[in-house]
Amino acid sequence: MHCARVRFFASATLLDSLIFPRAGCVALAILLSGCSLGSVTQRVFPMMEKATTETRYSLIYVIHGDGDYLYHDEAGRAFQADREALARAVEVAEQNPSAEVFIFHERSRRRFLGLRLPGRDGRLLFYRGGRLEAEAEYRRDPGAARFDPVEELYRRFSTPGDSIPTRAFLYFGHEIPEFGGIGYDRSYRNSSFTVDDLAAGLGRLTTDSTRFDLVVLSTCYGGTPYTVRALAPYSHTIVASPETLHLGYFDQGAFERLDVTWPVGETTRFARQFAGQAFERLANAVETVVSVAVYDIDRLRGSLSALDPDRFRYPSDGEYPPFSKSTRFDCADDPASAISDLQDGVDVLFRPAQFGRQQSKSSHSGWQCRTIFK
Amino acid sequence: MIMPNVRAIAALLVLGFLALPVQAQQTNQIKKYLGETVASVRATPDPVQKREILNQSLNNLSKAIDRIESAGLIPAEERAGMEVFESTLQDKRDELAGVNGFTRIPDSKLDSYSSYVMQDVEQAAETVTISLVAALLIIIILILIV
Repeated sequence: MHCARVRFFASATLLDSLIFPRAGCVALAILLSGCSLGSVTQRVFPMMEKATTETRYSLIYVIHGDGDYLYHDEAGRAFQADREALARAVEVAEQNPSAEVFIFHERSRRRFLGLRLPGRDGRLLFYRGGRLEAEAEYRRDPGAARFDPVEELYRRFSTPGDSIPTRAFLYFGHEIPEFGGIGYDRSYRNSSFTVDDLAAGLGRLTTDSTRFDLVVLSTCYGGTPYTVRALAPYSHTIVASPETLHLGYFDQGAFERLDVTWPVGETTRFARQFAGQAFERLANAVETVVSVAVYDIDRLRGSLSALDPDRFRYPSDGEYPPFSKSTRFDCADDPASAISDLQDGVDVLFRPAQFGRQQSKSSHSGWQCRTIFK
Repeated sequence: MIMPNVRAIAALLVLGFLALPVQAQQTNQIKKYLGETVASVRATPDPVQKREILNQSLNNLSKAIDRIESAGLIPAEERAGMEVFESTLQDKRDELAGVNGFTRIPDSKLDSYSSYVMQDVEQAAETVTISLVAALLIIIILILIV
């Protein structure tokens, strides 16, 4: 049995938790201890003062960092995309007194002499009322049990019942494959992760009455018919990119004061505002294509349900096809894609790449298709 | 007579252990190489030099790929991915020079173009299948060329 290490907490800051993740905990573990959740080690920071603001927003971030996330800005300065996304998520959490915010960071396993060591490579930061309320480290299992610790910790800390009126799920990482998915995690090269796995994970975090108001896929090629259809049962609105998405990711500025920007019941308006800000930020920062789409699932649901999933699902008898064996394109560029039924309910912001063969493309349907060459 | 063998084996083991984490960072090394290229392009005010730096950098990457391909160091299943990567680099060189259907990048846009090249390769690295071994070889040859 692992020992849950608990300390009283009056003014924890992110810096404290990042730089001294264990020191204070170990000292105070002598004073207090409790049971752990399986392989999860957690620290809970009870509030000295009860939060006075009602929790009206619930945000769940999953930030994938177990891969190659290095990118450079226009000045050539290097950044790690997952750490940048984590820092922005923490800012969002700290600036929302009426929100509970779960930030799951999926890290690479530590290495020693070239070998990857078993250990706690998942980390949760849980904020409520703008303050860090709990921190947990857990061992990831990127196989079928990938969402076990996420669900477990979410159930452990979330506000019970269905009382929170506004809920969002945000995923930051590389493109999530539609099938295959072997090697998505650098530390677990034999495990797979697919859109269906993500959908199953969302299913475990929702019920019919607590479907996510907003799901944000901050990945490349999230805006495909197959992906949106797979996530539709668990969301009212999806924001994703039907094109490549620079590792600078979607800007999260719109999330910083939710009580101002996201009135209850106005998810579509908020999603458009969020998408607009993300688009502007990316368009100013990168020279490659920028496209952000808002999928109003409640309007698309009928058309999505009528879709034959196999029409957009690639052969499932092998590995995810290499880039060279497929061509991606705007579904609207191929009449055979027949996506006319999927246009009502999609708002697309698009700016072509500033250079290259696609720089004259003037619009995008919001749906990305792919042809596989055998 | 035994000692030298033991030493050699020990040295190989140590090198092997040390090489593994280095190997895992090679795709990052390619990105860093292009990041340094962007910094160099932006640092010089002379458009002729900007163009030369960018062209040289793309040439070096292409040469490295050519050499490991011609030496048969890339497994068959990875060749397709390498060819796509090489084709991407060729497009970038063509656009820089204004050949093969591209309009030549004007001097005033060379800084932006260098960023475009870097960002496009960073995004391609997500989808193009280049094994860590191949990436390692590219970096080794790049170091020898530069």
